[in-house]
Amino acid sequence: MNLTINGKPLIFVADAAKPLLWVVRENAGLTGTKFGCGIGMCGACTVYVDGRPERSCVTPVSAVEGKSITTIEGLSPGTNHAIQRAWIEHDVPQCGYCQSGMVMAAAALLQRHPQPTNAQIDETMSNLCRCATYQRVRAAIHTAAKYKD
Amino acid sequence: MTQNRRAFMKSGLILGAGLFVPLAPSVAGVVAAVSEQELNDWVWIASTGDITLGLSQCEAGQGVYTGLPQVLADELDADWTQIKVRFVTNRDAYRTSAAHEPLQQFVGASMSMTLFYERLRVAGAQAREVLLKAGATRMGVRPSQCTTRDSRVLHAATGRSVGYGEIASDAARMPLSSSPRLKAPSVFRLIGRDLHRLDTLAKVNGSAQFGIDVQVPGMLYGAVRMVPGQSGAIRGIRNEAEVKALPGVVALVLTSQWPKPTINTVVVVADSYWTAQQAANKLELDVEPGVAADLHSTRILQQRKQALDNDAAAVVASHLGDAAAVFGKPCARIVSTDYHTSYLTHATMEPVCATADFRQSEVEVWGSIQGQDMVREWVSRLFQMPQAKVIVNTTFLGGSFGRKYVPDYVLHAVAASKAVGCPVKVIRSREDDTRHGYYCPAMSGRLRAVLGADGMPEALHARVVGQSLYGAIKVDKVKEAGGWDETMVEALYDLVYQVPNLTVDAIDVKQPIPVSFMRSVGSTSSVFFLESFISLLAREVGMDDYQYRRKLLAANPAALRVLDHVADVGGWRTAPAQGVYRGMAFNVYTGRGEAFQTLVAMMVELQVAKDGSPKVLRVVCGVDCGRAVNPGLIRANIEGGIGFALTNTLKSAITFADGVVQQSNFHDYPLLSLAEMPSIEVLILDSDRPPQGCGEVSLAPTAPAVASALFRATGQRQHSMPFEF
Repeated sequence: MNLTINGKPLIFVADAAKPLLWVVRENAGLTGTKFGCGIGMCGACTVYVDGRPERSCVTPVSAVEGKSITTIEGLSPGTNHAIQRAWIEHDVPQCGYCQSGMVMAAAALLQRHPQPTNAQIDETMSNLCRCATYQRVRAAIHTAAKYKD
Repeated sequence: MTQNRRAFMKSGLILGAGLFVPLAPSVAGVVAAVSEQELNDWVWIASTGDITLGLSQCEAGQGVYTGLPQVLADELDADWTQIKVRFVTNRDAYRTSAAHEPLQQFVGASMSMTLFYERLRVAGAQAREVLLKAGATRMGVRPSQCTTRDSRVLHAATGRSVGYGEIASDAARMPLSSSPRLKAPSVFRLIGRDLHRLDTLAKVNGSAQFGIDVQVPGMLYGAVRMVPGQSGAIRGIRNEAEVKALPGVVALVLTSQWPKPTINTVVVVADSYWTAQQAANKLELDVEPGVAADLHSTRILQQRKQALDNDAAAVVASHLGDAAAVFGKPCARIVSTDYHTSYLTHATMEPVCATADFRQSEVEVWGSIQGQDMVREWVSRLFQMPQAKVIVNTTFLGGSFGRKYVPDYVLHAVAASKAVGCPVKVIRSREDDTRHGYYCPAMSGRLRAVLGADGMPEALHARVVGQSLYGAIKVDKVKEAGGWDETMVEALYDLVYQVPNLTVDAIDVKQPIPVSFMRSVGSTSSVFFLESFISLLAREVGMDDYQYRRKLLAANPAALRVLDHVADVGGWRTAPAQGVYRGMAFNVYTGRGEAFQTLVAMMVELQVAKDGSPKVLRVVCGVDCGRAVNPGLIRANIEGGIGFALTNTLKSAITFADGVVQQSNFHDYPLLSLAEMPSIEVLILDSDRPPQGCGEVSLAPTAPAVASALFRATGQRQHSMPFEF
């Protein structure tokens, strides 16, 4: 099977049903994308497939064959994305486990809505965070929107 | 090629790229680089000037990765922008004890800062003193003419300075003072400042390594399949041969779930987690159900309700005056209410997971580990290995809240590795993590008061019944106390409110359910009971949450200070907007064995939707946790604690039927979402007291404050958690 991950081609052998999450983590060795629930509910596994955010734990790799995958490691190699800079300014992460997915989801939101309202943030940001960093996530999204101006 | 290596190759490795990311040196225990000088148990300085600070407390989100090095770096006068943090283990310097128990390295009970503040100050000051002397010697001047700052020794008179790196080896040879002079707080450069967290960068770019991310050469993967219920043994695997023959499957390893010796777990070892989990799901187990086969939440609650009436079985935890006599007076104005909470699970975002390599004469483990010595003790006991031969590597923890102190998942990895002869990383699925947890036990409480003519309680009787945590895992503590478990009666047995006659008693209603510590432990229940009841009494006599508590705390200026500040900033005395309702609660959190005292007051504002469900809009939380080492970290813990508590309060519970946990994943154990998160204002009150714990303190007051606001809104009292509406 073949994929492109963060711009690099990947050729590998795997079960067609193997979720993209585990191909990314095991076959590609990229552990930034996390496993939280396996049923697409928590968002810790969020990657981009051809630029669109997807929950990779419920995406069989056969469904994305030949496509271009972006993981958290590929979002901004210098950790310079507006979302990442805002996350650092606000010290958003606590344990940090959900934050790869959270950052990917927030970056995608900002792409679609450069000046997101709180209602848009509420609707879109369904990633779960057990540490409940949500207040800072919201504040950091607004900050990132300002950076991008 | 060995069987294992062949199986591993089949997993489909990418061609050409480096697959194995070696563990960063920062998580490999105390591994000193070649040119590093060790000044003491906490400080390593390389000739290049790189300073590495030891961290003994695992980082699980509470912020110790930043807060503790901050203390050390201040006394050391290290350049904060240049320091690195290394997780350290396996020395007595890193061990401590909660409530007079044997020394161990662990995190728990919000005690890291309280326990390590002085220790790290001494370590930093010790190292600074020898560096200063070495620097002075190097410059040919007297130490009294020198100062230290930003990793340099300075001689003001000549403007010369020398970096710590240049003199580290001289300093390392000098004897350390056991009582070095500590800085006066007025000259702290780092302590007290809102320094940015050191681990944020790694946590926003995917590079931070958690237990689940560990990769070691030759590693296989394991998934777990356990008996379905809370008890039982595996008698056989009906399709063992078929599952073993599945492509990629290497072995089926039978083992047990700590602390029970019963064989109740299969670890499926395979060449990828996915393969292992699919195979584990296919297993057909023959299970002998065991004593918990008919465990049912309805019956568990029934047993607690019966216990509430069981005067004969109640063990008195504390008493003041003669509450019974006051209750016995004719015409006593008695108010009495029963409350109930539910079993809860930690639901860490990172499911439990560990990697182990069982070698001939030693075992090495890597993972999200909250109790390093717990792991050593139990690996040693169960695998006949001297503790000194158990190497423990700790990564970042993807949440713990107490869960990862239990060594079960590490022992599974060790068993798997021993069976297959190579390293194995065992990952628990969310379903298994939920169904086979170590739960926070449910409680029931009966609060009764006799109200005096002034409306204040003349007598209070509080009874808490339920599955005792200490009764299950720290039986000696129960004996020591005289037959009761302090966690069940937190904030009751050491009541902060002035009540002249008080009896607090408790009954252990045993259940065959694994239980353990969960963030805020028994206070989740006992403070829900107490604070709900106090608010109830207030309303009985026509006072509000704030006024009534003010009177009860009249003799406690420290408590009043926090309560008043929250009322002031919260705007308690001015009416809220139309449709917005308020509640207030107060708590003194004391950790375990009264290790510290943190005072918390909380005001909640909410609206109620047409369907009766609450939307919590705003929380104002005041906290006196002694000296604030890093206010940002405290605020994060308070904010996060409220969010954590709202899941317990409004959304989720663990229930049992036919011996099996009914929940399995986030669709039936939902967590608070971003849209449901209130806006939180944290007020940190100044204090000269040494730092007190703050990791758990905002949880307990949340439920009763919300309940009180809800009552104002709807006239309905909340007797059970999670709330019903």
